Amino acid sequence: MQTHLADFIKDSAAGQEADAILRKCTHCGFCLANCPTYRLLGDELDSPRGRIYQIKQVLEGEAPTESIQLHLDRCLTCRACETTCPSGVEYGRLADLGREIVEEQVPRRGLQRWVRTGLRTVLPRPRLFGTLLTMGRLTRPLVPGPLRKKIRPRRPAPAWPSPSTHSRFVLMLEGCVQPALEPPINPQTARLMDELGIAVKRTTEVSCCGAIDQHLGASEAAKARIRSNIDAWWPHIEAGAEAIVVNASGCGAQVKDYGHLLADDPDYAEKAARVTALAIDPIELLERHADQLAPADDAPRRVAFQTPCTLQHAQKLNGRVDALMARIGFDMTPVPDAHICCGSAGTYSVLQPKMAEQLRTQKLENLNTGEPQVIATANIGCLTHLDEASEIPVRHWLELIKVA
Amino acid sequence: MPAHALFRDEDLRFDVDVDPLIDALRQVLPEEGLIVHEAGLRAYECDGLAPYKQLPRLVVVPETIEQVQTVLRLCHEAGVPVVTRGSGTSLSGGSLPHPQGVLLAMGKFNRIREIDHHRRIARVEPGVRNLAITEAAAPYGLYYAPDPSSQIACSIGGNVGENAGGVHCLKYGLTVHNVLAVKVITMEGELTTIGSESLDSPGLDLLALMHGSEGMLGVIVEVTVKLLPNPLTKQVLMASFADVESGGHAVAGLIARGIIPGGLEMMDGAAIQAAEDFVQAGYDTDAAAILICELDGSEAEVADQLKAVDECLRDHGATRIQVAADDEEKARFWAGRKAAFPAVGRISPDYYCMDGTIPRKQLAYVLRRISEISAAEALETVNVFHAGDGNLHPLILFDGNQPGQLEAAERVGSAILQLCVEVGGTVTGEHGVGVEKINEMCVQFAGAEIEQFHGIKAAFDEKGLLNPGKAIPTLNRCAEFGRLHVHNGELPHPELERL
Amino acid sequence: MTGTDQSEALRERVADAAEQGEALSITGSGSKHFYGNPVQGSALDIRAHRGIISYEPTELVLTARAGTPIVEIEEALTAEGQRLAFEPPQFNGGGTLGGVVAAGLAGPRRPYGGAVRDMVLGLRLINGRGELMRFGGEVMKNVAGYDVARLNTGALGTLGVITEVSLKVLPAPAARVTLEVEADPTQCHDLSEQWLRNGRPLSGMIHDGERLYARFEGTTSAVDDAVAAIDGKALEPAAADAFWQSIRDQRHAFFAGDEEPLWRISLPPASDPTVYGERFLIDWSGQQLWLRGHPEPHNLRARAAAEGGSATLFRGRIDGVDAFPPLDAVQARLHRNIKKAFDPHGILNPGRLYPDAEVS
Ligand SMILES: Cc1cc2nc3c(=O)[nH]c(=O)nc-3n(C[C@H](O)[C@H](O)[C@@H](O)COP(=O)(O)OP(=O)(O)OC[C@H]3O[C@@H](n4cnc5c(N)ncnc54)[C@H](O)[C@@H]3O)c2cc1C
Ligand SMILES: Cc1cc2nc3c(=O)[nH]c(=O)nc-3n(C[C@H](O)[C@H](O)[C@H](O)COP(=O)(O)OP(=O)(O)OC[C@H]3O[C@@H](n4cnc5c(N)ncnc54)[C@H](O)[C@@H]3O)c2cc1C
Ligand code: SF4
Ligand code: SF4
Repeated sequence: MQTHLADFIKDSAAGQEADAILRKCTHCGFCLANCPTYRLLGDELDSPRGRIYQIKQVLEGEAPTESIQLHLDRCLTCRACETTCPSGVEYGRLADLGREIVEEQVPRRGLQRWVRTGLRTVLPRPRLFGTLLTMGRLTRPLVPGPLRKKIRPRRPAPAWPSPSTHSRFVLMLEGCVQPALEPPINPQTARLMDELGIAVKRTTEVSCCGAIDQHLGASEAAKARIRSNIDAWWPHIEAGAEAIVVNASGCGAQVKDYGHLLADDPDYAEKAARVTALAIDPIELLERHADQLAPADDAPRRVAFQTPCTLQHAQKLNGRVDALMARIGFDMTPVPDAHICCGSAGTYSVLQPKMAEQLRTQKLENLNTGEPQVIATANIGCLTHLDEASEIPVRHWLELIKVA
Repeated sequence: MPAHALFRDEDLRFDVDVDPLIDALRQVLPEEGLIVHEAGLRAYECDGLAPYKQLPRLVVVPETIEQVQTVLRLCHEAGVPVVTRGSGTSLSGGSLPHPQGVLLAMGKFNRIREIDHHRRIARVEPGVRNLAITEAAAPYGLYYAPDPSSQIACSIGGNVGENAGGVHCLKYGLTVHNVLAVKVITMEGELTTIGSESLDSPGLDLLALMHGSEGMLGVIVEVTVKLLPNPLTKQVLMASFADVESGGHAVAGLIARGIIPGGLEMMDGAAIQAAEDFVQAGYDTDAAAILICELDGSEAEVADQLKAVDECLRDHGATRIQVAADDEEKARFWAGRKAAFPAVGRISPDYYCMDGTIPRKQLAYVLRRISEISAAEALETVNVFHAGDGNLHPLILFDGNQPGQLEAAERVGSAILQLCVEVGGTVTGEHGVGVEKINEMCVQFAGAEIEQFHGIKAAFDEKGLLNPGKAIPTLNRCAEFGRLHVHNGELPHPELERL
Repeated sequence: MTGTDQSEALRERVADAAEQGEALSITGSGSKHFYGNPVQGSALDIRAHRGIISYEPTELVLTARAGTPIVEIEEALTAEGQRLAFEPPQFNGGGTLGGVVAAGLAGPRRPYGGAVRDMVLGLRLINGRGELMRFGGEVMKNVAGYDVARLNTGALGTLGVITEVSLKVLPAPAARVTLEVEADPTQCHDLSEQWLRNGRPLSGMIHDGERLYARFEGTTSAVDDAVAAIDGKALEPAAADAFWQSIRDQRHAFFAGDEEPLWRISLPPASDPTVYGERFLIDWSGQQLWLRGHPEPHNLRARAAAEGGSATLFRGRIDGVDAFPPLDAVQARLHRNIKKAFDPHGILNPGRLYPDAEVS
């Protein structure tokens, strides 16, 4: 498309990146096909092409409006549109930039502002979140609306492996909300690694990956968090950590983006690029050890795998977990429309509860097509979101496997 | 902006106060179904032909047939134009809004009403994507045959609007050959079903007339299509040629032997290179042209045909023939062709896609002329070609941010279309006239024919409110364009050999 | 090629008639006044305007003048190993190309090979103002302007005098066979589906009330495979060809005799064709039903319509009964308007299709 970016942004690095992205878009509309919000609402304004167009207007100098904000808010940032786009338009980056500008210029009102600030304040702090969640569990009936369903009963976690003498070691992002919401996942990841002869070096000072700030239009806050994470990891990286394992694909996508996000930071660009290179989803490591893996003893065998958007559209690892699970003995059931978002999308299910619920209903219907016994996934957000409404259990896939 | 005015004075005769209409529409439409603020309208200002932009007065996004009826009735009463939009992938500006009118967006009509696998019929709303029909039919071993390259996104209503074709249409037909019935709402707001689930229906063939009518005769609110059983097997092969001409002769040779392949596509050297760089399909980048040929049917048929095709292509000087070894390779051979447009999008900031059809025997001459025409404007052209049916897609490369280049590309495009008419072809094979080729219509048709088209239009839409200014030029426009020189079928350049 | 161009003379004749307000009855071979509603008007014979104008087998296109006998066209095609996919009726060899296209009637191959309109690429036409125009073209794909060529296919000459037609032609298959199969008339659809889904090159299916006849046309191996897979008795090739011709040209015993009306019922797939009457012949895998006898016209039409089909009184006129079933109010209005747009003075075959819409 032709572009005429406005003076306020034309010559900045962000402006040039945005221009390059916009120039690639041919307005062909292919991305409409797989956009969950367009599929539900049928309005160009809620489609990727329409959002690109609305962002373009803002970049070309038109004052952003609440309407644009609404349509950007409805976007799940699932990036299915990127996977679909034949021209390689990086919608996700453009959306981040668009949201940032709109956020600056269109003030949030009332409750909306409170909820967004609340999410940004609480979620990234594991201890605060954990405390509130405990309180919430006790006071569940008193908690308002969409938040109430997010309060899950606590499941017991296995023990962390005892400190090992393995020479190989990796770092692991433990995440902000995951330890409190689904305590078994992190220790289970560490145990699998340990049994494969790889130690996990815990870095408890690192918690949130920065995605929450990022997607709520607070990119400076996100960057500050990223820098402090890099600082925490750096000594271990220098000591020879072979990877940074991120077992929540949403966080994984974000960590893999550090290099890009800090590319213009003279002090951090290089380190961030190194972190990006080291970041992996567990599947990337485990598929190399497929021969040593088997279904866990108590794991049901008929499994529907829900591929998180961040795994398939952001990290481009589509089909890999399913393939590994099938190979080690699971009966993987068919899942139509596997490329469509479940509606969780980070904080989306709290901010856009109606849309999130519709998408979840569709997703569960699709997941249950082949009558599975359990739904497996790879991201904490999808897991809790689906579990709230699912008749059958939803688990992180790492909980379903063991080292044989 | 394009070199010529999108709308002419006579297309802009609908200057009415829309405020009362807006109030009335608010009563019938869902809350977000009426868009009047500029930021919202802006996102609807263009379709797949993005350089052509026009803000509508308002956009309506109805949910039910009754709402569409009311919208049309109210617009009819108020004398306000209506432009229907499906997925907005038209490459001719078919769903470009009218500056004085309503844009009727059919995106919410996206439900599949019925897949009757026993009778091989699907009944769907018009906003359903072409590919979604095939996906819904797949569990029964069925598919919907017409497969435009945009099939992932384009709507079946838009397919009827443009009579869309695809790479398999030589054998399986265009949209018009695969649609059994359409439910249509007239501009007055009346509902009628044209066609039926039977193979024919009484009266004039209005169903054929609706196909390719570019939203100018009525609004389609339901489409019934026939489904086909999946072919039992498929084989794909790819042949290289040292020049385009021998590729063209090879196609004629196949047909002379009685072979109608399921798909038959040709790409020229530049297209091969662009596609190969993009998807690494394993194309022969030394070739001046490649031919991709898909054979389908029962095992026995495909085996017989494969032998004959291989022989024939060798006889016609194929320098290399690759037969796909497995499904993955078949998909890879096709991937390059299907990604040809976006692949070109990556090597050039913008491209302009043309859509002429020519008698196949004129291929070499036409391609030579195309490169001369583009060279004269210092632009490059890349060619992909539905070889079986003579439908040529020259992609003219340009940079829209460079002053004057869009206009130059348009001049090249117009010259190419006129060339297609000269050699006995047409200005549009499947993308429609829209607003893009409206001047070239004056080259292809004489005054009486154009008047006859206007007569048909008036038979459906007396006030001329549906998609005004599209598809059929006014005689004034032709006069101004100065090209109404095709009288009684006498074409310019009578010295050229034709069919 | 051969023949003479009479289009200017025809055009003048129509222009004169338009001026006089004189009704014209367009005739090709002129023998079939039985089909459609009767027309009062001076005959406009187009048979002299004949000849194939161009035929290039490798382009799959043939263009000929409307008065060209359809047999002449089929001969030219056969010589090149090609044919018309829709298998047009060619009663006594008299039928003309213009008549075939204007009548829009196709033979037994229609459901599998396509309709007349599916193969019409373009035509020249004299409208009721005496203007000679060209629509569509000689290329496979063409969406410039409204599809006037297909609109005139089956219009029975009510919109214009067709002077020239370009048709898509197709290669004739290498092999064919007809099998006689034991089956109930209600099984037509299921058998047809079963065969098609197994890749059998079905190209005709008739049930005469007793037996089912299925024709397969394709590559030698595909036809051989069909014979091997299907339980049936192969007809002698000459007998088979004669059988299909007798169906196509209505010379089969079922059609004999003019005293009883002949109804043609077009049906959606998988309808039960046996509920309409006693004496029937099922064609098109059950989608075209020929019916003899004296059913109550109104009930018959209502029943067919309720199923999504339609009933045409094909031969034998009945007082007060139009040949074609009525249209809904919206389409009746559209017909009237379209007729006016092509033939403002109502001089071309007035009343042939819909007297209400055509006779002013
Ligand atoms: C099963 C079957 C049986 C048939 N039996 C017979 C039969 O016994 N006798 C018979 O004659 N036909 C019969 N027909 C019809 C006939 O075979 C074809 O429809 C066709 O060949 C008619 O050609 P024609 O030249 O005789 O046209 P006509 O019968 O003269 O014309 C058919 C219609 O087309 C119009 N028309 C003709 N030429 C033109 C033109 N150039 N431009 C515009 N309108 C035109 C006429 O006005 C008329 O409305 C039968 C058809 C079928 C399907
Ligand atoms: C990359 C790319 C590749 C393409 N490849 C092909 C190809 O291979 N073959 C091909 O044929 N086309 C192709 N196209 C063109 C385009 O996709 C088709 O013309 C398609 O049919 C348009 O469908 P749409 O839903 O986007 O309709 P729109 O663009 O929204 O509308 C097209 C026309 O139909 C009318 N219309 C839409 N919906 C209705 C309705 N419900 N009732 C009445 N009128 C309606 C509109 O008014 C307009 O005139 C391609 C386009 C792109 C961008
Ligand atoms: S698919 Fe890509 S190029 Fe096409 S409209 Fe969407 S973002 Fe733009
Ligand atoms: S990121 Fe997801 S929701 Fe947002 S525009 Fe793309 S496909 Fe739609």
